[in-house]
Amino acid sequence: MQNHDGDVVESKTESITSIQTSEIDDWANFRDDDIMKQQSAIQAEEAVKIPFVGDKEPLLTLAAEYQSGSPILQEKIKVLSEQYAAIRRTRGDGNCFFRSFMFAYLEHILESQDRAEVDRIKVNVEQCRKTLLSLGYAEFTFEDFFALFLEQLESVLSGNEASISHEELVQRSRDQSISDCVVMFFRFITSGELKKRSEFYEPFVQGLTNGTVEQFCKSSVEPMGEESDHVHITALSDALGVPIRILYLDRSCDDKGSISVNHHDFTPAPGNPTNDNANAVKPFITLLYRPGHYDILYPK
Amino acid sequence: MTSPSASSRKALSKIACNRLQKELVEWQVNPPAGFKHKVTDNLQRWIIEVNGAPGTLYAGETYQLQVDFPEHYPMEAPQVIFVPPAPLHPHIYSNGHICLDILYDSWSPAMTVSSICISILSMLSSSTVKQRPADNDRYVKNCKNGRSPKETRWWFHDDKV
Repeated sequence: MQNHDGDVVESKTESITSIQTSEIDDWANFRDDDIMKQQSAIQAEEAVKIPFVGDKEPLLTLAAEYQSGSPILQEKIKVLSEQYAAIRRTRGDGNCFFRSFMFAYLEHILESQDRAEVDRIKVNVEQCRKTLLSLGYAEFTFEDFFALFLEQLESVLSGNEASISHEELVQRSRDQSISDCVVMFFRFITSGELKKRSEFYEPFVQGLTNGTVEQFCKSSVEPMGEESDHVHITALSDALGVPIRILYLDRSCDDKGSISVNHHDFTPAPGNPTNDNANAVKPFITLLYRPGHYDILYPK
Repeated sequence: MTSPSASSRKALSKIACNRLQKELVEWQVNPPAGFKHKVTDNLQRWIIEVNGAPGTLYAGETYQLQVDFPEHYPMEAPQVIFVPPAPLHPHIYSNGHICLDILYDSWSPAMTVSSICISILSMLSSSTVKQRPADNDRYVKNCKNGRSPKETRWWFHDDKV
């Protein structure tokens, strides 16, 4: 450990840090709070540029972004635009997968008014609650987050007092006090599922961090701002019984040089109460993955 | 030690208040072994007594932790420091600041005051040497303006101690 004030030397890493000492000495005038002030200024600046959840934009804006970039990416965006009409960006704050999932799911319910789906997911959410309790989580640590998610779920169904419009859903998704709590709800769900099936997930987790599922959940799932990997997506999809399609926009292409956009469907594995029929359901959540970031995609 | 930032801190949100009341009840029913919380009517600051575990370097010693809760607890981490005199430990500064990842970047609302206490006791118990961090003087000097440890950019590269 060390605090990052400048030349910090710790016995174990003496040889390394003492080299840094001379280099960092000039930096000693920069105090942590100055650096942090600057950091939060940068964050605030970013926040203005991209809210937690952005507006729906035509896919053309994505093409414009790569206008002078990689020809492979330009070509892939062309292929993408044959099937997809729009993109909704999310802030790159490490919560983008969960935030994208949150908005895409609630928006789907708002637009489809699919009450059967709401009843179905509630059964799985209740199962997740039991899972967390059986894993030894104190109920008071997660109950507020569960209640808040269920409240949002009710509110996107029309015909009750708390019903909200699409515009209000966008507002709520941008309101930190609601948005972050729903993200945290998904983090609890993901962590519970990973631990419940830790034997299954252990090899995947070890490939990522060389630790146990327990350690992985503590360091990479439960803290806000920790980015999501395949493992998180699989676990969330399994736990809630919601299929998710991810399209990959990267520079890869096959040997023949032909361009196609790879996608992967995360199909909920059997095991949770309502997952058995999930194989038959076409994913209604589609996300675009660019290395390090997820946004929401809208099919034509 | 009183941190000046505590007085200017915003009052607890409703969510934070509810959560802390539940934690308080849970603590009273099931306090972590080795800890005593002197209950006051100040929900936003807990003073907790820590007893060094038997068979460790800190056996028989007693210290005080000061836990201050931010407006948006538990989404934000509490500020946890030792009230000086702080235990001599390679990760604890003489001003009471503690270098422990879960208090900063690795904090999660899934954690509780109780789980923090257990982590701190475990950190004390696994220590093999009673000494201050190598950069203690510099760090403490830089904190003279009353800066909170949450405003420090911590580097954690040793979780063995």
